[in-house]
Amino acid sequence: MTPGPAPDAGAERWTPYWFIAPLALYLLLFQGVPLVQEAGLSFTATSLLSPREHVFVGLDNYRNLLDGSDFHAVLATTAVYTVACVVLSILLGLGVALLLDAPFRGRGVARALVTVPWAAPPVAVALIFVWIFNAQYGVFNFVLRSVGFAAGRENWLDTPELALPAVLLTTIWQIFPFAAVVILAALQGVSAELKEAATIDGADRLSIFGAVVWPTIRPSVALLSLFLTIWSIRRFDLIWLMTQGGPIGATETLVIKLYRDGFVYRDLGQAAAVGMVGVVVALAVTAVYFHFTRRAERAAGA
Amino acid sequence: MSAAAAMAGRRGWTHGLRLLTVLLVLLGAGFPLYWMFVTSLTPSAALFAVPPHVWPSWSELGVYTEAFRTIPVGRWLRNSAVIAAGTTVLSIALAIFPAYALSRFQFRGAGLVGLGLFATQMLPEAMLVVPLYAIFGQFGLLNTLAGLILANTAFTVPVITWMLKGAIDGVPIDVEEAAKIDGCTRIGIVLSIVLPLVAPSLAAAAVISFFHGWNEYVLATTLISDEALRPASVGLASFVGELSTPVHSVMAVGLIYTVPAVVFYLFVQRYVVAGMTAGSVKG
Repeated sequence: MTPGPAPDAGAERWTPYWFIAPLALYLLLFQGVPLVQEAGLSFTATSLLSPREHVFVGLDNYRNLLDGSDFHAVLATTAVYTVACVVLSILLGLGVALLLDAPFRGRGVARALVTVPWAAPPVAVALIFVWIFNAQYGVFNFVLRSVGFAAGRENWLDTPELALPAVLLTTIWQIFPFAAVVILAALQGVSAELKEAATIDGADRLSIFGAVVWPTIRPSVALLSLFLTIWSIRRFDLIWLMTQGGPIGATETLVIKLYRDGFVYRDLGQAAAVGMVGVVVALAVTAVYFHFTRRAERAAGA
Repeated sequence: MSAAAAMAGRRGWTHGLRLLTVLLVLLGAGFPLYWMFVTSLTPSAALFAVPPHVWPSWSELGVYTEAFRTIPVGRWLRNSAVIAAGTTVLSIALAIFPAYALSRFQFRGAGLVGLGLFATQMLPEAMLVVPLYAIFGQFGLLNTLAGLILANTAFTVPVITWMLKGAIDGVPIDVEEAAKIDGCTRIGIVLSIVLPLVAPSLAAAAVISFFHGWNEYVLATTLISDEALRPASVGLASFVGELSTPVHSVMAVGLIYTVPAVVFYLFVQRYVVAGMTAGSVKG
């Protein structure tokens, strides 16, 4: 933090508080209060049709989650979806960033164009990908068939084993540009002299990457993974519009279950309990991230 | 062949391979949107043809005017624009002074504010949709664009505050000292001296909140049920996966909704990337 004005600026002692108060109040009202309300709702039976009438049911909603085998499947699907999103989009983003880091003609245009998927509205993305994955008329299957793959006859979004890969492919198409852009920016901080020295010493590309490039970009990649994780845990539009969590729960993540419980089954209490689980998961991920970055900082002697 | 020529040859070869890979990546990145475009310009009789049409039929351009006539696209886009603009203005108005305070003052509780901002940024909005629905119902905010703007802003303002704080950190404090001697108030200093100096980050913040409002779906679909107030995201979503509305009209609507966002983004992406990475690198 920048050193502020001298501590004897008594007249301005309250200025930062005045500056922050409106935002603090706003977030309290639109995030703090809903969070408390969600915690409260999760202990009640509340119908979507009369959201003001609550019946206290204690831990029943949570017990339902623990007892039902489908919730374990939901947690597993959320974990698989999230890990795959983070790992694959970072790997692809890293590859693309390294590709776009070297000089070539038209690099600026390529850097701009590669970000296009990230700028496309998710609802429109779901719309076009559902059409692309259409079993009979979709271009995806057409291409697979033309190349001679038997998979070209599959009904991707309606087959339990194939729906998640199809949704993942769509998600990664949409988010890899963000990973690429962040990593590309981090690559600008890599010392050219160190790289050159390593080359002169006869180091091959992989060891240069490990010894010079990776240590520089690691903090950015760590923060990037945190953001991608949180975004994947909460991603609703793409999944809901492509599969509605189906077929038979194959793509049902926490958020999808929450929406289904609350707004299809009209059980706000149950949905709130799912939401609380989601909030705890998100905060736990954040805490784990801080734990590891702090340890890495200590190890680096910072 | 001499050693130097061999090396140059290999470099030329890797360069060619790199260009080819870049081209493939761009093709992959661009294809779905191209496909949306081609499908919108495919005659209805050919929509279900195998092999599919891979080039647009320009004679089908009428599908766009047709879409405006049969589907309330104009109203959807207007609603989306109102939501996006409202979210932008409110987010920035709320973020500027806290960002300045976090950057320039040392005060008791600053750490707590920072932590709170970070934590709220990590709160998934979809997880809070249930209580928001309940609270909005109580205060008559369901089915209002203003209510949706208020809800959206809660999820854009934390990240924007961080971004602006990072940008203000980069402004040397000396430029403020001179103004202070001239008798400027703090508020005057922020508005007339600091803000112009962080204009690129301000632009990035504006773009990010605008996109959030333009794209947002889960809050809109739960908090808005009145058809006249539907934004384009909700309107378009009603077409996903159903085949009773002609596919080419749906794709035309999808493209009308997507193209302004993408073009706008391409114009400003330099600032967005700089602003976002400045924030994320600093953490």
